[in-house]
Amino acid sequence: MSFLADMDSLVAYLLPLAPHLILIITALIVPAIGFKSGKAAAFFSLGAGLFAIAVTAYMMYTGYKGDFEGLYMFNDFTALMIMLFLVVFCLVVLMSISDSERTKHHGEYFAILAIATVGMMLVCAAEEMISLFVGLELANIMSFALVAFKKNDPRSAEAAVKYLITSGLSTALFLYGMSLMYGFTGTIVINDIIYSLATQEITWAYAVAVTTLIAGSAFKISLIPFHAWVPDVYEGAPTPITTFLAVGAKKMGFIVFFKLFLLMFVVVHFLSAAAGEVAEIHQLQWVFALLAAGTMTVGNIVAISQNNIKRMLAYSSIAQGGYILIVLSVGTDYSMAGGLLHMITHVFMKGGAFVVVAALAARGLGESIDDYKGLAKRAPLVAFAMMLFMFSLAGIPPLAGFYSKFVLFSSAVEGGTWIWLVAVAVVNSAISLYYYARVVKAMYVDKGSTTERFRVPVSFKIALAVCAIAVIVIGIYPGPVMELCEMASFEYINGFLEWLKSSPYV
Amino acid sequence: MIPIELFLLMSAVLFSIGLVGLLVRSNSIVILMCIEIMLNAANLNFIAFASHVGAPLAQIFVITSITVAAAEVGVGIAILLHAYKSKKTTDINDLTSMRW
Repeated sequence: MSFLADMDSLVAYLLPLAPHLILIITALIVPAIGFKSGKAAAFFSLGAGLFAIAVTAYMMYTGYKGDFEGLYMFNDFTALMIMLFLVVFCLVVLMSISDSERTKHHGEYFAILAIATVGMMLVCAAEEMISLFVGLELANIMSFALVAFKKNDPRSAEAAVKYLITSGLSTALFLYGMSLMYGFTGTIVINDIIYSLATQEITWAYAVAVTTLIAGSAFKISLIPFHAWVPDVYEGAPTPITTFLAVGAKKMGFIVFFKLFLLMFVVVHFLSAAAGEVAEIHQLQWVFALLAAGTMTVGNIVAISQNNIKRMLAYSSIAQGGYILIVLSVGTDYSMAGGLLHMITHVFMKGGAFVVVAALAARGLGESIDDYKGLAKRAPLVAFAMMLFMFSLAGIPPLAGFYSKFVLFSSAVEGGTWIWLVAVAVVNSAISLYYYARVVKAMYVDKGSTTERFRVPVSFKIALAVCAIAVIVIGIYPGPVMELCEMASFEYINGFLEWLKSSPYV
Repeated sequence: MIPIELFLLMSAVLFSIGLVGLLVRSNSIVILMCIEIMLNAANLNFIAFASHVGAPLAQIFVITSITVAAAEVGVGIAILLHAYKSKKTTDINDLTSMRW
């Protein structure tokens, strides 16, 4: 009896980390399966990913909230983000099943992928700085091992060295910023740090700490001027890993920004409202607005001149990062819901575009846009899916990208301060249509050298179907997903305000 | 008792040495060492603050970050070796097959 009772309390104790534990156990088993067969290892990881999604969905459905030793928590916000990373994991595994870019070490590949996903999931669940740092580094170190996995291509090794150096620098900056932050707050609990960040007077030490923290995490979401590594790494890495970095690792960087800075603006607004003053705009909000405007402009303008499709998608993902950064300058819960929704739709549209690139690479097509000429004749369904993803990225209704951009931009119009930012973003969307339409033109209008039909492998078909259906369904009927995002951002911001009201500070 | 300002100054100097080395040197092994120096500057900060306020929590952070740095160097050296095998160089100025 007591054994059963012990088991029950152990399960209750570990429940907040259930999705993480499933993936960690997978990572321990998969290398053994990989010795036998690469395909079996892939299917095992896919099964584990789907099982983890089911567990997380059930926990979300029952409204479970939990806390693990004050290090990690599980609530609506972390559940949604864990779900997002698990979907990315399953998508990447699906793309890797018939991937021709990887020749051996299949078991290790899936194990490292699972551990990297665990790192990202730990970042969104972290409640204090040590667990945040460990999660970040887990994802980082694993991702530069993954980038180097295309053994027969020297570009992959070059990309891995570049990624290693930039991410090492970003880690060092981030850790230095954190150490100074510890110096004047005397705590490593994130909520306490946010409060003292918001109420601190701006001194030189504060400026150094905040600058190094922003610079350290800006590498991960490739803000201007920390974006130079992105196109090289995205081009050199195996395409599934490019997907992983573009739609997964980038979201992790945004979560770090949400955790550290978004709540800080919420505190500033809350305190000025409590004192009966007009809500003032924090100086850092201006910094983020300028960074957002610069990031989307540079990303979109440089993307125009790209001929390699992976490089073009890399610059477009820099630009999409600029759009999501609008959330940090606006800092309301509606804009955060828009940001989360854009993150989710970005997974499907950008992920889908990379699935197309990988599927065609598996059939021997090159990465240049010229190689896509006449694709509509050769593989009509793949070309149609690619068109959907391109138009969704450009923000054309009724696709998912339109709705999420609409929510994001309309949240910035409220209040009136950030109308110029919205104007910049809308002009940028128009610019971006040019290079997305160029791909569509190459596929549908231009004549290719051959009209020979070909089929893509089944696993890519499934991944494409999932992404295309998600892009269409979220575009036409965004209600349920939007509701989840609103719930998550409400939980996130109001949960913090509840904590603030009950804390000794106010 | 050594005043805390000296520790902070020391760590700022270390951090700057690492940063300048990373920007100036072109040997990728040296760059990896510069990153380590910068991480150690941050660790020194943590230890100085922890002993100043007498709280042990930051020392846990330092032990964690040393472990993380060891893992990073392990994977990092493996990648540099891999790059050396395919390019026959450790000079990052030769890694220029992808531009714009």
